[in-house]
Amino acid sequence: MSQTSYPNLPAQAAGGVLLMEDTATGPEGPGGRVAGSRSAAQRRRRVRAVAFHVLILAITVVILYPAVWMLMSSFKPSSDIVGSINLIPTTFTLDNFAKALGGIGGVSFWTFFMNSMILAVASVVGVVLSATVSAYAFARISFPGRGLFFSLMIGTLLLPFHVVIIPQYIIFNNLGLVNSFVPLLAGKFLAAEAFFVFLMVQFMRNLPRELDEAARIDGAGHVRIFRSIMLPLMRPAIITSSIFAFIWSWNDFLGPLLYLKKPDLYSLPIALRLYVDQTSVSDYGAQMAMAVLALLPVLLFFIVFQRYIVDGVATQGLKG
Amino acid sequence: MTLTRDDAQRGTPAPAPGTRTQQKRWRSADVRAGYAFLTPWLLGFLLLTVGPMLASLYLAFTDYNLFRSPSWVGFDNFTALFSDPRYIQSVKVTAVYVLVGTPIKLIAALAVAMLLNLKHSAQGAYRSIFYAPSLIGASVSIAIVWKAMFIDDGMVDKIGQFFGAPAGGWVGNPDMTMPMMILLAVWQFGAPMVIFLAGLKQVPAELYEAASVDGAGAVRKFLKITLPMLSPVIFFNLLLETINAFQVFNSAFIISGGTGGPAGSTLFYTLYLYIRGFTDFQMGYASAMAWVLVLVVGIITAVFFKTSKSWVHYSGETR
Amino acid sequence: MRITRSAVLGISVATTVALTLGACSGGGNGETTEPGAGDALDTDRDITLTLAWWGNDDRASKYEESVDLFEEQNPNITVQTQFQAWDDYWTARNTEAAGQALPDVMQMDLSYLRQYGATNQLADLNGQIGVNLDVGGFDEALLASGNLEGGQFGIPTSSNTLALFYNADLLDELGIEPPAEGYTWDEYDAWLTEVSEAGAGEDPVVFGGPDYSVTFWFFLQWLIQQGVEPFTEDGQLGFDEADLTSWLERTQPLRDAGVVYPIERTKQLEPLGGFTVNEAASEFSWDNFLAGYVADSGTDNIQMLPIPSGDDGTTSLFFKPSMLLSSSASSEEPEAAAALIDFLVNDPEVGRIFGTSKGVPAVAEQRDAMEIEPGSVDERVVAYEESVTDQATEAAPIPVEGFGAIEAEFKRLGEELLYETIDIEEFVSQWFNGAASSIPQS
Repeated sequence: MSQTSYPNLPAQAAGGVLLMEDTATGPEGPGGRVAGSRSAAQRRRRVRAVAFHVLILAITVVILYPAVWMLMSSFKPSSDIVGSINLIPTTFTLDNFAKALGGIGGVSFWTFFMNSMILAVASVVGVVLSATVSAYAFARISFPGRGLFFSLMIGTLLLPFHVVIIPQYIIFNNLGLVNSFVPLLAGKFLAAEAFFVFLMVQFMRNLPRELDEAARIDGAGHVRIFRSIMLPLMRPAIITSSIFAFIWSWNDFLGPLLYLKKPDLYSLPIALRLYVDQTSVSDYGAQMAMAVLALLPVLLFFIVFQRYIVDGVATQGLKG
Repeated sequence: MTLTRDDAQRGTPAPAPGTRTQQKRWRSADVRAGYAFLTPWLLGFLLLTVGPMLASLYLAFTDYNLFRSPSWVGFDNFTALFSDPRYIQSVKVTAVYVLVGTPIKLIAALAVAMLLNLKHSAQGAYRSIFYAPSLIGASVSIAIVWKAMFIDDGMVDKIGQFFGAPAGGWVGNPDMTMPMMILLAVWQFGAPMVIFLAGLKQVPAELYEAASVDGAGAVRKFLKITLPMLSPVIFFNLLLETINAFQVFNSAFIISGGTGGPAGSTLFYTLYLYIRGFTDFQMGYASAMAWVLVLVVGIITAVFFKTSKSWVHYSGETR
Repeated sequence: MRITRSAVLGISVATTVALTLGACSGGGNGETTEPGAGDALDTDRDITLTLAWWGNDDRASKYEESVDLFEEQNPNITVQTQFQAWDDYWTARNTEAAGQALPDVMQMDLSYLRQYGATNQLADLNGQIGVNLDVGGFDEALLASGNLEGGQFGIPTSSNTLALFYNADLLDELGIEPPAEGYTWDEYDAWLTEVSEAGAGEDPVVFGGPDYSVTFWFFLQWLIQQGVEPFTEDGQLGFDEADLTSWLERTQPLRDAGVVYPIERTKQLEPLGGFTVNEAASEFSWDNFLAGYVADSGTDNIQMLPIPSGDDGTTSLFFKPSMLLSSSASSEEPEAAAALIDFLVNDPEVGRIFGTSKGVPAVAEQRDAMEIEPGSVDERVVAYEESVTDQATEAAPIPVEGFGAIEAEFKRLGEELLYETIDIEEFVSQWFNGAASSIPQS
């Protein structure tokens, strides 16, 4: 499978190709059979189709159950949540959301939301800027040391990041940058998340070289080739990277846990955790409501961009 | 986190692009432009990766608590690790999670991928639905939901009791927290499944037809065609999922309230590292832990790549 | 309402302080910088303060109510609040301390005051006293408990002592009398067994109480009854492995017989506990916990008794400052922080709001503002403290540096002991190992 195809290959197209395969490889090859065995085969196929759908539906139920349970629980009174297998609330209430939106300890929910949003959007900007530029150097410019740097970058992909968090924390702490967004964003603007660079290098490698060579003959420098030729062509890779940069930043927990210590700087996951710690077990309703609110943007993103996301995973091995 | 299948198929990290066509002499404009374009990455690499790695290597040999300056203690931190019952506990917990959880997750992923592969028309929607948990599984929200489902008198407890299991939530029972964590991991089988599915689509249908003509059954087809043809993808998934499993943190942190409890049963390696480093401020000790993790993950990666030659088949690749 | 025990409290706290000062005179380098007098509070500029405490929902609503009043009186000040359960609270504060980001005002405990004060994390409030902070209503000795080597690093809000709480309604249902006055530890253990046996048939099952032996303070109280001073004057442990072993072995039969409240359930109820969900009939704790117990359990009929007596027939109780308020040394608003502390410890309305939930208030104006109706929570706490005044013969143990860490380790190992993942021998050896590295050697 061509690597460049990942965001461009719409599911329908793939499905269409595979459907054609289906008819070609179906059990009923040319030549025909006697009517009796054909109907038996049809029955067998129908039984198999039913079994297939039952099984797939069962898996779907198991997969969706926790998420749907969370969503439905957020509309139930707290006392009805734990231990209830029923999905549909018997008493429907919006109190949980009112409570969750009320915020924690004098800081509004929207403050947390905006912090998460600022971090996520800035991450997207940082990743797109730094990864495209770095990837261009790796993919399109030849200079001494490139091969070595590229291998090192691949190496950082597999490196457990825990080995750097302690010194990083000490450095940012000494710089007085704890309680700012800088430690959380520095890595994005400095292309420290190698998979984005890698993804873009892979993409760029497969763009036809003739384009930049032609431009070069016309006297264009690297800056112009990058801006006028590469960037527009890299749209699919940029979109995929942006989606993942957004979602990963939105879900990030350890980073904000280490660096954001003041309630008005909390991102949503940290606020959510604080909320869980602060409320008695009996207040599951508000916890669920806040959990739903914290996941909502990710789920919306997923619904809108699911094709990009899943195809990105299928072809690039991106992890969710 | 993102080796592509193609890299896995080559068996080594991708070589630098264009090495073959590289000229002996570089154009000075290219050299300047190259380093200029690479500046963000180079800065990040030096300041956020190499520098900190060297710093943590140094710290691993010191006693440092952030308030006083580091004092050199030689290998004390490393020897202390192996007489620290909590460290040993964290190694055990992580090992069980990696060795049991990862295979179950991958088997589930492969099984569902093969199921979906039977009927292509249904794939689009199901593929997305099954993938969704991978996207949200590590979030705080899901950890909270998981805890609520598995607590005393919770949903799982009720269902268990219905089937005659002894009453009691999983969250407070040290014997049941690991199954609970593994279920959470298996629930996120979607990401490897999507990759398996892409691999399955590339298995030429003619192979199965030929096997059918030879009278091969489903099991034989699976063993003789599917598994070998899929081995590069299996290798890729196995490597990634193993490395990821070593680094699980968020859900254990939320479910245990940051303690690794009950009775150390969710004291994952990274959680203990966090406790030592950022709760007790034993930065030297935590750095030693981090370096042991780097070494172990490095060795495992090397072993994977070494052994892959004997079981990963790259048909159709010119090598 | 006069609090007659204050004289005794004064004496015991004075002893504590004398010992504390003696203990640290050797360790400190003596460079206490005299803080300049603070400026008056700015009333024009918008100021944001952060305030943190440990506790439950009930305490949170009391703080919120008090903070609202403070903000009403100081329209230019906004207070952002946060609270956690005890363990999480100290984890959060430790991380903040490392980043010079402690809250402007925070609840402080005697067990951590030394650790934070000695590492220059806390503001010396001496400069604010008489400017933004009025300490005129304080007993000198009690105020001095927040003093380290001349620096006033904490202002005590109140004082407390240990008690046995029991759920009278539950006992009535089971037809069991509470322990008789003057009961011993062994008699309490027998009583626990009796309640658990009677409660086994209930739905939900009712237990006598949780395993008290895994709480560090109860062990210290027991040591004092045995005539063992828990900590030496030079800040080291005053007890040995044998003491700890015999304390833990005392309650082993209770654990073996399944008499104590199951740890599996306790873990899942956090931050509540067996006692607050009305499944355990009794629990030891600090006397100011009554308000929280009543709020969490929804049962008003919770009564108090002194703790069991030692071999000599006395309880050897001690009063200690239940908590203090401290300000961060890195606070950008020291004046406003001091004003908030002043408000919280002096304002009569705050005294009414909190009642005895943080302990009996240190300042008379706050004590007098409490609504002491017969049978009310506050009345019960005050009555309890009065009733044990003559039993409070001891000085509170002076927490050694590292007390917070060894206390937390005691709790963690206790959990493992209850889960039977370690035995008493391992508990003792691991705890002493940890203590050796947590307590600075002199």
